[in-house]
Amino acid sequence: MVNELREAAGKLLDDGKVDLVIGWAKGSLPLASTPVFISSSDEADQLVFDSTCGNNLTVYFTKDNKKISRDRKKVGIFVKGCDSRSLVLNITEKQLKREDVTIIGVPCSGVIDTRKVRRKAEGREVLEYSQDGDTVTIKGKEFELSVPLEELLSNACLSCLRKDAEEYDLFIGEPRKFSGESDPYSDIEEYENLSADERWERMNEEYSKCIRCYACRNVCPSCYCNVCFVDQNDPQWIGKTPEITDTMIFHIIRNLHIAGRCVECGACERACPMDIRLLYLNRKVAKEVRERFGSDTGTDLDQKPAMADFREDENQDFIMG
Amino acid sequence: MIRIKKENISGFIEGLMSDYVLFAPVKDGETVSFRKIESADSIAEDYMNTDKSPKDIFFPPAEVLFSFDSGEITKNECSEKPFAVWGLRGCDVKSLTLLNMVFGTARQNPEDEMFQDPYWKEKYDNALIIQTACNDPRSTCFCNWFGGSPHDGEKADILVIYIGDAYLLDPKSDKGRKYLETVKNTEPAAKKDIKEAERLRAEADSSLSAVFELDGIVGRMSGLFNSGVWEEIGAKCVNCGACAFICPTCHCFDVQDEGKGKKGKRIRIWDTCMFPVFTAEASGHNPRELSKDRLRQRFMHKYSYFMENYGEHLCTGCGRCVVVCPVNLDIREVAKKVMSYQS
Amino acid sequence: MSEWQPKILAILCNWCSYAGADLAGVSRMQYPPNVRVVRIPCSGRVDPLMILKGLQSGFDGVLVSGCHPGDCHYISGNFVARRRFAVLKPLLEFVGVEPDRVQFSWISAGEGERFAQVVTKVTEDIRKIGPAKRLVKGA
Repeated sequence: MVNELREAAGKLLDDGKVDLVIGWAKGSLPLASTPVFISSSDEADQLVFDSTCGNNLTVYFTKDNKKISRDRKKVGIFVKGCDSRSLVLNITEKQLKREDVTIIGVPCSGVIDTRKVRRKAEGREVLEYSQDGDTVTIKGKEFELSVPLEELLSNACLSCLRKDAEEYDLFIGEPRKFSGESDPYSDIEEYENLSADERWERMNEEYSKCIRCYACRNVCPSCYCNVCFVDQNDPQWIGKTPEITDTMIFHIIRNLHIAGRCVECGACERACPMDIRLLYLNRKVAKEVRERFGSDTGTDLDQKPAMADFREDENQDFIMG
Repeated sequence: MIRIKKENISGFIEGLMSDYVLFAPVKDGETVSFRKIESADSIAEDYMNTDKSPKDIFFPPAEVLFSFDSGEITKNECSEKPFAVWGLRGCDVKSLTLLNMVFGTARQNPEDEMFQDPYWKEKYDNALIIQTACNDPRSTCFCNWFGGSPHDGEKADILVIYIGDAYLLDPKSDKGRKYLETVKNTEPAAKKDIKEAERLRAEADSSLSAVFELDGIVGRMSGLFNSGVWEEIGAKCVNCGACAFICPTCHCFDVQDEGKGKKGKRIRIWDTCMFPVFTAEASGHNPRELSKDRLRQRFMHKYSYFMENYGEHLCTGCGRCVVVCPVNLDIREVAKKVMSYQS
Repeated sequence: MSEWQPKILAILCNWCSYAGADLAGVSRMQYPPNVRVVRIPCSGRVDPLMILKGLQSGFDGVLVSGCHPGDCHYISGNFVARRRFAVLKPLLEFVGVEPDRVQFSWISAGEGERFAQVVTKVTEDIRKIGPAKRLVKGA
């Protein structure tokens, strides 16, 4: 597959269809890939795709990194299913034009959460990582383990229903269609069934780890305000210290800002240096949006963002009678 | 050098706890970080290095400088007992000495206490720094680039070497020596213990990858200030603050007032050059407008400006940023790229 | 010390609910004095951050009220607001904030009596669950 991927990118560049291709290359660590920007076909052999390619590359069309794509007219980008939904969302929100981007889909079988790998290795350093079908081999000094990929997958991938891009110009291999409705929110329902005290305690435990580095926000292609509400200082709405209420309010509001816009790619959770289970909030919001407004983010180029839309006869059971 | 049997080490830790407020690495889910500890068995054992650096013990992410109430100002006092920190690695001990150059010593004018930070000094100057030698450095460790070594404890008060059935405690400063004299249940280290320690030291040293020479990086970096290298390096950076906040040497901060009415407090908060608001001016202009400008600042502070100002690199090779960076922007590769870049 | 009294932030839209509160006042209707009113142009202007900021800075509860659906002065402000609240309310409950802490209602300019009833009910609800502790800074 890797060869096809490199050929496809090289051909697009050679034919002048794109000036730049954004993809993944092998990283400096066994468990990491790294985003790469390719502008000529002889660099295309850096490109890879495997289960370490967790970055949602659509982020490079947003924030200041937009500059990369702004300077070039036509950009090609490799996408997993979730990344393509981010791209579609950004197109519907007029952040970029469909005709300026060449979308190249890659078949995704989920990406790993490095923390889960570390847990499997019981704290020992992982020095080699290889994958053969659904089995992953991790090696370190004096140990070697074979683990089913499933057990290492990012939480976001475990509930993913649309693994492959549905909006693309080119697909490497054969795209699988929407896998049909199953119950993707069973983990959230389980959490909802806990008592309020327990939920509050767990949330406190998670968010007290936050160091306010904003890695979650910055890797998110849906978070692209010129000035984020936490960075506003006149007036300053919330404190910038890792004090627990400020931290929780930051995360709650960030999740409301991406309500109906989150594609549940899980990039935020994988980026978090403090191992916070960020997706609980994202997925709770996504669940509400899906159940109440029937909207599936990033699956339709003509879609109106759920929170900018309404129906007059909507359920309003939460409003006092 | 003295020796404490493995089973007696918790007695030593408890002793520390009665004399000091003790910080040590504690496991918290999948991450390990320094915490104030209440009992000797809460200390994490199997860790290579903490995920968060120990700088927050001496330089907390949000430190109240003083509180005010209707014009009356109360300075925030440190706790009555001094701190001891157990389990620091050599890279982190060194980072504290680098931070001490900024906060602790009045470099511009040694006579003038105004340039010394009292909040830092009252914690750091009274602290007992106990380093544990790394027997098993990670592949991301590169302390040897900066003259460090996994067993080098010269900057600590006490160096602890774990040799399997016992701990060897080697005093490295007067403070450390005085403390060890008060400790009971010890025996002098035997010749074979010292030999074992030397073997572990050699093994740890050889497990590090080769040193990359940084000679001349200061000049190269200044020469490349306006070059395209930063765009190339910075293209993938998403400008989060993960690297800076887990870094043991990054020390930039913001000062803010939090309060209601006439009551409130002034707080020093970690900040980083990675954030656009760090340099945003009131007019709306931002001298470091683009992602690459901010990234350049961080690397130049590390490998150029600090060397010019203090004669050291502001990096100890702990490798934390290499591990946490969400886009795998590896600081070692940045240094290599800068050194080999042909414009 | 006298008995604890809940302090409630009421965010009311200018065209309906605020006028409703006004009517309750000029009609000399009795309702608990626990609400502190902030007038905003439209319920569509209510940023969830305002509600959370209210809780964080020590209000025991927040009431947001706007025009009835279809009556918005700006045609659709309250419809958009309704979607926002529809997500905010379950999300707050999800993190563990008591369901009655934050409440929403529609009150028209003619419903002075309803305003008094709503404020009475909200005050009673919050009195029942007690002083706010969650998301309160310094609690």
